[in-house]
Amino acid sequence: MHTLRPLHTIGVLARFAFAICLILILWLAPSSDVSAANTLTVYSGRAERLIKPVLDAFTAKTGIQIDLLSSGTTELVNRMKAEGDRSPADVFITNDAGSLEIARTAGLLRPVGMREVERAIPSQFRAADNSWIGLSGRFWIIVYNTTMVKPDQITSLLDLADPAWKDKVAIPNAGSEYLQAGVSVIRASLGDESTKKFLEGLRDNAGTQVYQKSSQIVEAVAKGQVPIGIVNHYYVYRHLATQPTAPLGVLMPDQQAGGIGAIMNVTGIGILRHTPRIENAKLLVEFLVAQDGQKMFADLDKEYPLHPEVKTDPVLPERKSFRAALVPLTKLAELREPTMQLIEQVGMR
Amino acid sequence: MILAHRLSVSTLQLAVLATAALILLPLGYVTTLALSADPAVWQRLWATRVPELLLNTVSLAGAVALLTLMLGVSTAWMVTRFEFPGRRLWEIALVLPLAMPTYVLAYVYNYLLGFGGPMEQLWQLMAGPQARIFSPQSFWGVTLVMALDTFPFVYLLTRSALLSFNVSFEEVARTCGASPLRTMFSVTLPLLRPSIVAGVALVVLYVVSDFGAVSLLRYQTLTYAVFQQMTGRSDNQAASILSILLVVLALLFLLTERWFRRKSRFYQTTGRYRAPQRLQRGWLHTGLLTACLASVVGLAFGIPTSLLVMWSLSREAQAILDTRFFGFVWNSALLSSLAATAAVLVGLPLAYLASRKPTWLNLGCLQAAYAGYVLPGPVAALAVLVLFLKIMPFLYGTVLVLIVAYVLHFLPAGLQSLEPSIQQITPNLEEVARTLGLGVRETWRRVTLPLIRHGVIVAWVLIFLQTMKELPATLLLRPVGFDTLAIRVWLEASEEYYQLAAPSALLIVLVGLPALFLLLSRDWRAA
Repeated sequence: MHTLRPLHTIGVLARFAFAICLILILWLAPSSDVSAANTLTVYSGRAERLIKPVLDAFTAKTGIQIDLLSSGTTELVNRMKAEGDRSPADVFITNDAGSLEIARTAGLLRPVGMREVERAIPSQFRAADNSWIGLSGRFWIIVYNTTMVKPDQITSLLDLADPAWKDKVAIPNAGSEYLQAGVSVIRASLGDESTKKFLEGLRDNAGTQVYQKSSQIVEAVAKGQVPIGIVNHYYVYRHLATQPTAPLGVLMPDQQAGGIGAIMNVTGIGILRHTPRIENAKLLVEFLVAQDGQKMFADLDKEYPLHPEVKTDPVLPERKSFRAALVPLTKLAELREPTMQLIEQVGMR
Repeated sequence: MILAHRLSVSTLQLAVLATAALILLPLGYVTTLALSADPAVWQRLWATRVPELLLNTVSLAGAVALLTLMLGVSTAWMVTRFEFPGRRLWEIALVLPLAMPTYVLAYVYNYLLGFGGPMEQLWQLMAGPQARIFSPQSFWGVTLVMALDTFPFVYLLTRSALLSFNVSFEEVARTCGASPLRTMFSVTLPLLRPSIVAGVALVVLYVVSDFGAVSLLRYQTLTYAVFQQMTGRSDNQAASILSILLVVLALLFLLTERWFRRKSRFYQTTGRYRAPQRLQRGWLHTGLLTACLASVVGLAFGIPTSLLVMWSLSREAQAILDTRFFGFVWNSALLSSLAATAAVLVGLPLAYLASRKPTWLNLGCLQAAYAGYVLPGPVAALAVLVLFLKIMPFLYGTVLVLIVAYVLHFLPAGLQSLEPSIQQITPNLEEVARTLGLGVRETWRRVTLPLIRHGVIVAWVLIFLQTMKELPATLLLRPVGFDTLAIRVWLEASEEYYQLAAPSALLIVLVGLPALFLLLSRDWRAA
């Protein structure tokens, strides 16, 4: 009789294991086909807290539930390529025009012919065939700690490669899509040789101050850990929104005569080619390019709305007060691979 | 009867072969990917990143090994050689840091020692407003965090060696006129060397494959670089090259350790064994010992945990304790139990066949399963990813891929407790059952399984715990909308939202505690 107890335990364990396997199989099976009509799966390269409120507003308005996967931009592009037609994603939103264009050339996105889009978003912020549509603009700026430096001598990003700034500059890591996009623009404007010199100087000046997240750069500059950083503008204004007294200054680089202009990138949206939920996806695009959606989407992240009639958040510098670089956004994709090689050649982290 | 026997053994054999293949295929595929990569990529990596990464990884492993050696051996000495009030309590408390994942400790120290953080403010009160302390985001910061997290490995092994130490050796040394200090350094410590080395070996493997702490503290190691290459590039060539380097590094280290251990074996020649007596200590010494132990346990567990509790009680943290949070808890629990169940089911036939029919084939399969030891999380993820993309792309992005990566990564931990538990049962018992007329399956069900159930449970709990803490593979392979507690900690902590990361972190630590105690009495090695 003694052996009965353990026997019982093992029987239960075995049944439990079997049940779990069954659950797993049942759970895997339906993931490939359409489960519910009123849902939409969004892959987002933008951080969850910066996009979820807008998507929640969309759900409140339309009743369409959203499944969100927030992850790295390149990771998501790799993922969609791998998943192909089986991808659960219906919509791709991300922070880098280059990545959107790469997704388009990989045949992942479908062109959308929507009058609402053409009316709302100027054509330089869209793919040639409207496979992706820009939603908001961001600029690469120099942030500095006002108590530590007087950046009179800096007019251009290139100045940060000067040995005078040794150990004084914080930069994003080499995998960051917007670093890649920024370097692409510099290459397109100045050529490989000057860009390489710039990167080498920047690498030496940054030393170990290389960050995975740009919010950490702003945090470090605000605390005085490092006097200068290169980031997208909104990280600074988001920080100031929560800590208005932080000693942060913003310098819009390369505005001097003959300078390349501020480096711009956009956040954009694309609809996946294979999606069966095209109508829902279009509703989301429509929602985001409309004036209310534009305002909410841009303000949440302190970005510039692309809809010409939507007002920019008043804390940001007036859009007309500075000049943007002339490299077309759609070129960022083809520039990317040689840029990454250059970045690696220089040995940036 | 005989036919049935053959049949069932051969299905078992097939299962074992399939498991070995499941484990070796991804590794083999990454290797071919790396070897077939464009030579230009190899060259570029060698010319730019590899020397720095190798140097960083090796020097970190070395420094952590040294620090854990000091911490682990001295604490073990204190609790085994002295008797003082509270000793038994400290004996247990010194193991607690094992329940703390490195990324949690890293994020707490990022706050504590961080720029303008509480430690620095304290220091500035004493040393003037411009004074700086060392940054946690530096070589020494990472070393400190990793050492505090892993010294219990050395402590536990040294402690058990000290407990079974034959004190006659020391007495002989003393009688021959050696001073106590000389006795310690030329008799006791050399005799403890095999255990200490084994503990340090665990530490080094842990450090080399860590992702959480180095990523939060921005310290570039090979493991971190593999992750960065996977997430930053559209092809996996560079990632696979770095992975192979990492695997080779870990293998080299394991082989050195084995060789070293074989060279330093000690035997007891006579049966005279006397256990050491604990020295009774007065209040002064008690105070000193308690202060030492309290500061070690406090730094590695007490202070971090109280900070986590404090943060979890903050208003920001309370606000996120909604249904979504419980979704993450559920995801973690589900994933971990699936992985643990799968690994045990996969591991059992392997361990069984290797001990019952130790042919070269079966032993080879078992050794293959131990390959996970040298596969850090991102590498396991990469291996599984490229293989699935190649042969079964339709499964990509499902939980199954993640489970396979976990099994690959954590099977060795499970096998370590499955293997001895099977070896302990004599085959005679099974033979008796067969003679008495039970079939193969019945014998398994009614004799073997009940006898090894402790080993099975321990293996299950171990893998459950490990999966719960696992970070890089989960980050890389998780399905849509499938965040776990570990991922939440990492995401929030990497943006310095300390309060928001705290509830998840605290929960991981708390779930780890009872399991840790369960394992302490058995096999704690892989905790």
